[in-house]
Amino acid sequence: MLLEVRDLHVEFHTRDGVARAVNGVSYGVDAGETLAVLGESGSGKSVTAQAIMGILDIPPGRITGGEVVFQGRDLLKLREDERRRIRGAEMAMIFQDALSSLNPVLTVGDQLGEMFTVHRGMSRKEARARAIELMDRVRIPAARERVRQYPHQFSGGMRQRIMIAMALALEPALIIADEPTTALDVTVQAQVMELLAELQREYHMGLILITHDLGVVADVADRIAVMYAGRIVESAPVHDIYKAPAHPYTRGLLDSIPRLDQKGQELYAIRGLPPNLMNIPPGCAFHPRCPLARDVCRSDEPPLYEVSPTRGSACHFWRECLDE
Amino acid sequence: MPDGRHEPEQAIAGTGMGGTMDLGVDEAETLEKRPGPDGTGPGDRPRSLWSDAWRDLRRDPVFIVSALVILFLVLISLWPSAITSGSPLTCDLSKAQQGSQSGHPFGFDGQGCDVYTRTVYGARTSVAVGVLATLGVSVLGSVLGALAGYFGGVWDSVLSRITDVFFAIPVVLGGLVLLSVITSNTIWPVIGFIVLLGWPQLSRIARGSVITAKQNDYVQAARALGASHSRLVLRHIAPNAVAPVIVVATIALGTYISLEATLSYLGVGLKPPSVSWGIDISAASPYIRNAPHALLWPSGALALTVLAFIMLGDAVRDALDPKLR
Amino acid sequence: MGRYVVRRLLQMIPVFIGATLLIFLMVNVMGDPIAGLCGERQCDPATAARLEQEFGLDKPVWQQYATYMGNVFTGDFGTAFNGQEVTELMSTAFPVTIRLTLIAILFEIVIGVTLGVVTGLRRGRPVDTGVLLLTLVVISVPTFVTGLLLQLLLGVKWGWIRPSVSSEAPFDELILPGLVLASVSLAYVTRLTRTSIAENRRSDYVRTAIAKGLPRHRVVVRHLLRNSLIPVITFIGADIGFLMGGAIVTERIFNIHGVGYQLYQGILRQNTQTVVGFVTVLVLVFLVANLIVDLLYAVLDPRIRYA
Repeated sequence: MLLEVRDLHVEFHTRDGVARAVNGVSYGVDAGETLAVLGESGSGKSVTAQAIMGILDIPPGRITGGEVVFQGRDLLKLREDERRRIRGAEMAMIFQDALSSLNPVLTVGDQLGEMFTVHRGMSRKEARARAIELMDRVRIPAARERVRQYPHQFSGGMRQRIMIAMALALEPALIIADEPTTALDVTVQAQVMELLAELQREYHMGLILITHDLGVVADVADRIAVMYAGRIVESAPVHDIYKAPAHPYTRGLLDSIPRLDQKGQELYAIRGLPPNLMNIPPGCAFHPRCPLARDVCRSDEPPLYEVSPTRGSACHFWRECLDE
Repeated sequence: MPDGRHEPEQAIAGTGMGGTMDLGVDEAETLEKRPGPDGTGPGDRPRSLWSDAWRDLRRDPVFIVSALVILFLVLISLWPSAITSGSPLTCDLSKAQQGSQSGHPFGFDGQGCDVYTRTVYGARTSVAVGVLATLGVSVLGSVLGALAGYFGGVWDSVLSRITDVFFAIPVVLGGLVLLSVITSNTIWPVIGFIVLLGWPQLSRIARGSVITAKQNDYVQAARALGASHSRLVLRHIAPNAVAPVIVVATIALGTYISLEATLSYLGVGLKPPSVSWGIDISAASPYIRNAPHALLWPSGALALTVLAFIMLGDAVRDALDPKLR
Repeated sequence: MGRYVVRRLLQMIPVFIGATLLIFLMVNVMGDPIAGLCGERQCDPATAARLEQEFGLDKPVWQQYATYMGNVFTGDFGTAFNGQEVTELMSTAFPVTIRLTLIAILFEIVIGVTLGVVTGLRRGRPVDTGVLLLTLVVISVPTFVTGLLLQLLLGVKWGWIRPSVSSEAPFDELILPGLVLASVSLAYVTRLTRTSIAENRRSDYVRTAIAKGLPRHRVVVRHLLRNSLIPVITFIGADIGFLMGGAIVTERIFNIHGVGYQLYQGILRQNTQTVVGFVTVLVLVFLVANLIVDLLYAVLDPRIRYA
């Protein structure tokens, strides 16, 4: 495994109490593999990613347990300067909103070149040349001229390409993309996603794709991990999940996608609201919203049952769910 | 703020257009919008901005202390005789510059007046000038600002140019010029002057918040449904635009007190026999070597008063602007 | 950019006319412009009439204003109460006040920005709370009280400095007055920097910079500071005008013979020419400082430059 997260716990200490954002998440990614992490906002998918990258805001955030093993080392045990050297060079992150994620007062050339000057000790001139190469690589036209421009002078899709270029700059082993296409127009989404998938194959990188868009997932992911209230509720190869989900929450997500062949029927929606992270329901956190819930769900927290050697579900009644 | 400077907006009114605060910590984000840990469910009435702010203020020691200080000041300006027996105008030259003694804890000033009595009576002037000037400035400023913000167009440009003109005149300087020829020893010329030069600051704040409130979707919706101007302004815009005006006005109240004292110190604000901390500080400054107490007590009272109002405004601002927590 | 400058210059004109006209009216309506011209005594009627005619005071106010401004633009600011040219007074007063302002601005930049950065990065810690409280106190204590107290402590009690400044007003004697003049702005600069840093510290691009694996000092200096200081620099720029206009109080406390002193004298002696002349220049300084700030803003923030 390139990266393995084991039993990760993250809390946020706020004025109103402690929010338990991540409660024992475990997942792994191999080189060349794409893991899609699915979940509503508040499910802990972004926080897990930030904990892996080491960019959590501490405080209010706090990692209270678990391991993040990357290339054989537990990152959580490293000193900050050691982690810093890994960030950007060995693992990189692509954020949702490229406009706000790029520094507005520096040219894109400076922001790309910075990777080379800081991590590789290159001269500004060399770094500039590499920045232009990178921009060519992510197919930004007229890179030589545009390298001197500022982020706001690019279109949304082009800006996200720059974010991708920045993440790829030092050819990291792992890329974490946090909703990389959510902020883009639908037509541009596909292009950016395609580019990302293509580059991932070419460099044989591990990719963690955080999203709530099941459409994107089907095309590019190898495995899916579904998160709810800071836990993994289902983890499986992508085809298994689409064929038959083994968790009622996953089923709810799939059923709430509009489909052309069901035109005219009422669209399914999961009832209720996501749980309050300061007050997560006892037992299975999903039980207040679950159509299959029984008494045991209210009292006993389900472990991640082994459905098959490659598949797990945190539902007491996963068989029932699978059969439906 | 005796220099009469309009404060940097980011530091004062929280009009911030600051960058996205969301750290991608979508968890923390959603928490704020969801019912609190006290078990209030989604069906309950949502907490409003004001009740939320009030809940925070009641627990804020800065707010409690400054509110108590202000309450005390208001009480002694209404009934100064409750804590003093003498008159601020009975002075005994033979006691000039004497220090603290029984019955006269703050000592005597250069004219032999009791510093304690004068300091207590000085509160009345300061509070009166501060409150009345703030009222005038708030009414004039927010009406003009709100009209300009709401109707926009020519009125807005004209008002903007006029406020530019007022901002270009240094306040203390304007005060010296305008007030130097007035011989009245009431507090009205000073109040009039502060209103005259103070309203542009408030009008800018009011204009800005009205424009922001106007762009809210529900205001647009109400307009589309044919609500009248007055209904739109009073029912939909004013409640949302009033918070920054209140915050700025509270802080401004403190600065107006300070401005009055500064003008009195320069000899153009209030004039004897009015009792004002500014006058007393000015009168005491020549004797600074021998009778520093005559300078320190009114200075301390003045500073404490201004501080109380500024801290109160600060606390209210923090409570109303959860973004900066 | 060129068109932007031209537009801003054109916008300055009505503000300049408005502000100077306002002061001109205030001085003329409120005071007797010839009262100071016959020395301490009242002018006799014949002299008064002659003087009124000489200065064109029998003409309507707008005409007087036009004539005055016409003269100003040829460099003629009129005569002060003691027969000295107003321009002569200016040539001795302005250098002093400019030195004083320069020191004040230096204090704002060095102390204000440093404290703001330190507290902005440590929000909620004891340093932050302490400095925040201190700034509130500094803002609350009127400048003239701060000045008198510092003069009492440093000048009278401890004898570190001379309590009043000599007429040449060299740089070293202006350090304490400069600090007093800067005090309130200093507190604002601290608070503004703190807010700005704290806000930007949580911004997406700073998170990106951290995720890129940049060393902390590089994240702070190159990414955080660069953005956060834009509003601070514009505040300090605009402050130049305010400081020069607000120097009256400081100059009076320390007996500095600068612009504030001359203005104060002019007002006491109801000398129209001095007052209007100095205020006109101050308004100009204020407007030019604001223009420079706007241009600086465009230089520092490419989003405005290319808008």
